[in-house]
Amino acid sequence: MEEESTSAESASSERIKLNVGGKLFETTLSTLRSGGPDSLLFALSNRRSSDPNPVFIDRDPEIFSVLLSLLRTSHLPSTARRFSKTELNDEAAFYGIDAHLRAATAPPPLSGIDASLAAVLRPASEGLPSSFAVADSGAVWIAHGGQISGYDSSLTHSATVRTHLDEIDAICRVWPEIAAVGSKSDAGLHFYNFSGSRHVGSVHWTDPLDPRIFKARVNAVTSSECSVFASFDCIHRENCIIEVDKTKLQIVNQLARQSGNQAKHVVPAKMTWIPATGVLVGSAVAGGAFGFSGYVRIWDPRSGEVVWETNEPGGSGRSSRFGDTFADVEPDVEGLLLFKLCSKSGDLAMADMRFLKDDPWVYLKEKNPSLVSCGEVRNSVVHCYRGQVFVAREGALEVWSRVGEREIDEESERESEAEGFYRRNFVDKREDSERGIIKKIEGGGDRLFVSREDVEGIEVWESSHSSAPISLI
Amino acid sequence: MPPFAGSEAVGFPNIVSIDVGGQLFQTTKQTLTSAGPKTFFSRIAESSGLHTPFIDRDPELFSFLLSLLRTGNLPSKAKAFDLEDLIIESKFYGIESLLINSLSNPSQLEPFNLQKSLLLPLNGRDSPSALAATSCGTLHVAHGSKITSFDWSLRRKSTLLTHFTAVDSLLALSPALAAAGANDFSGLQILDLEKGRVRETLNWENVTKSGSTVQAIGSSPENMFVSFESSRRNSNSIMVYDLHSLTPVTEIGHNEIFGADIHSAIPATKLQWIEGYNLLMASGSHSGPSGVSGNIRLWDVRSGNIVWEIAEKVDCFADVAVCDGLSVIFKVGVNSGEASYVDLRNLNDETAWVCLGDKRRVVNGKKEGFGCKIETQGNQVFCTKGGDVELWSEVVMGSGNRGRIFKKNLMGRVRDMGGAKITNLAFGGSTMFFTRKDQQCVEVWQSSSREF
Repeated sequence: MEEESTSAESASSERIKLNVGGKLFETTLSTLRSGGPDSLLFALSNRRSSDPNPVFIDRDPEIFSVLLSLLRTSHLPSTARRFSKTELNDEAAFYGIDAHLRAATAPPPLSGIDASLAAVLRPASEGLPSSFAVADSGAVWIAHGGQISGYDSSLTHSATVRTHLDEIDAICRVWPEIAAVGSKSDAGLHFYNFSGSRHVGSVHWTDPLDPRIFKARVNAVTSSECSVFASFDCIHRENCIIEVDKTKLQIVNQLARQSGNQAKHVVPAKMTWIPATGVLVGSAVAGGAFGFSGYVRIWDPRSGEVVWETNEPGGSGRSSRFGDTFADVEPDVEGLLLFKLCSKSGDLAMADMRFLKDDPWVYLKEKNPSLVSCGEVRNSVVHCYRGQVFVAREGALEVWSRVGEREIDEESERESEAEGFYRRNFVDKREDSERGIIKKIEGGGDRLFVSREDVEGIEVWESSHSSAPISLI
Repeated sequence: MPPFAGSEAVGFPNIVSIDVGGQLFQTTKQTLTSAGPKTFFSRIAESSGLHTPFIDRDPELFSFLLSLLRTGNLPSKAKAFDLEDLIIESKFYGIESLLINSLSNPSQLEPFNLQKSLLLPLNGRDSPSALAATSCGTLHVAHGSKITSFDWSLRRKSTLLTHFTAVDSLLALSPALAAAGANDFSGLQILDLEKGRVRETLNWENVTKSGSTVQAIGSSPENMFVSFESSRRNSNSIMVYDLHSLTPVTEIGHNEIFGADIHSAIPATKLQWIEGYNLLMASGSHSGPSGVSGNIRLWDVRSGNIVWEIAEKVDCFADVAVCDGLSVIFKVGVNSGEASYVDLRNLNDETAWVCLGDKRRVVNGKKEGFGCKIETQGNQVFCTKGGDVELWSEVVMGSGNRGRIFKKNLMGRVRDMGGAKITNLAFGGSTMFFTRKDQQCVEVWQSSSREF
């Protein structure tokens, strides 16, 4: 406010008049230029100021007044509600300030303790999602019935692509416009371009020395800065991870080839690339009549070696909780932590990926008596986003979040870090959990996307500063 | 200021022209300086020269705020806009306090005109355990280990995670600062709700060197009072802290319990400052084999003496509150569920409760008043009973010495009656807040005429 008032007097020559659709507006050059050097408004602001006539823009003045308020306050005024999302997006794109609009309409940082269901994205046909991929901007691609539907960062439907696959089980964003998809019922990893809505390439796992490597199917896909990793498996239970160059869409490397029927030899069903350390984390968990069994493995793709691995059950010294095998594992990419959910006790355990050893697990304790008993559940999903761990047990969604730092000496803090500083809270209400078993959780753009078994569409959970009061009058 | 300060602006140096976003406004210097010293407007009033000052803001919103400056109230056409736009704009001009004053002022509370107007939903599955509001209408709600704060307009919220598993006592020190304590977690935490962190933890050093749990928090304009009990439950005390520096000032009512002396073992579970008498009301009760018993004490904080004390053996209070305006202590009996009062103006050893309801109900021994809450605001006493709120007010009769007359009314319309049991009750600004059992929301009651 201080600077504004001083500039108000000195910068009278910096004022500019605009005539938008017959309505006069007056503002300062700095406000117009805040849209960025590529915007139309910036270009207009460079006109000679000696011209007495205001700049004429043949557009709707009402929407312009909303966008001018946005530039002045970087906050969307309530009058914006008169216009639809697409109207505002189109108009902001015309003036070249769409990035401004996106920033103003983006949800605040996701806080699991204060999130609510913001929207449900329902594709128009065959709406049961088989998988989905989320971008950092909060845009999402939903795979459903062989189609991929794209929703942009304002959650409006942008495009749908029909693929040649009957069912898409794995989907990954390779480039902002290119998706890598794989299916458990059809061979190969396929690349589809969204803007042209066409097939741009395919990759198959073959081995000239082994004719049995044939019709290998994709189980999991993840992408790093320059590669795509896909785990393939064959009908005769041989599997490996193929590294594909992102620009050429060609195979560059093959790693972790293994075969056998044991739980520790099955194909990785979940893979995550850790950019900070350049390693690939893969895991597979099988749930049978005798409980869960599976492995977590970390590969260095440059050497193709396994850096660290753990198998459960079994393996002496791998876990202090024998018989309490994990039901799901998920790395926290930003925090370099590994979280596992124990199948029997329902406890959450954490391991620091920088100091992995024989038994790195630290079990998080929840002291809240009303929440302690989790019990055994058959379906559970763990997902890490923004330093929080989201855990789904059947239909219920909960979050483990760290309590804000306390201003005390560091030593005692470090001591109790593992147990006391994570708190467990429910994200959802009881009614929400009754909608169905949660199959997949993914975070992006400060949103949490949740899909449920046999439920059409994907739920979008967001935090909000608005109290969303319900009027009773 | 004269409303017709001149038809021509030129001859009158008192008149100021401002160009806001291309629209010209004229006003007087007095109007601008009424925003207060060192604000945006006072600077414009001082610097009026040849140039018309230009403000690059929305002209329409400015016109509403200019009306606010001129009359102290917003024009009705401002209702076409969201209050949030006006708050952002008033923050820019530095006159948010004027807006709060016009829309959320405790003097505007109209007890007889309160109606159920809003529900504020809370995320997650925890039911609210404590409520605290400031005089300008900011609301803090503790639910589970979280505290959600609503701003004075109840349009914006933020949530903070605490160390507590559940917060049992909560006090709003300022819109951004709250004191929180729990029955099962040691220490009183001063929470900075804006930064989302603990600013300070206050502990009571008790003899047993065990933890100190918080049973109640209260405040006066200068002090904060905290009732602590040791974790072993064998000593309790009321600590007095300076409200601003949060340093301990004194300690009153320190009890060490030896043997089976049950009566001194009751920590204060409610602390209320009586401004008109400079006394602190501390009350506590507990449930024993012979029913609920408790005590109410009035403390002189400076001397540390008990001024008056009443032991509750028959029909002990479920909740007590002092009504400063009426000079009366009100209670709801835990067995009868009826309201009773004592007059603060003539307290002595023989002072007894005057029951306002049906006394005979005491005998049946049922805890009809269990969980009832009682709060006072201005000259009114609000008492919850199940899912309803009773409003007690004094009827002042001109003549006769029949004693004081208090009458009650049930608040709300027929459709608002009933509902789940009310668990917490708080007042802030011109608004009444309460929470109900097992409902993850806060109910807001406001006067109909003040609705923005």
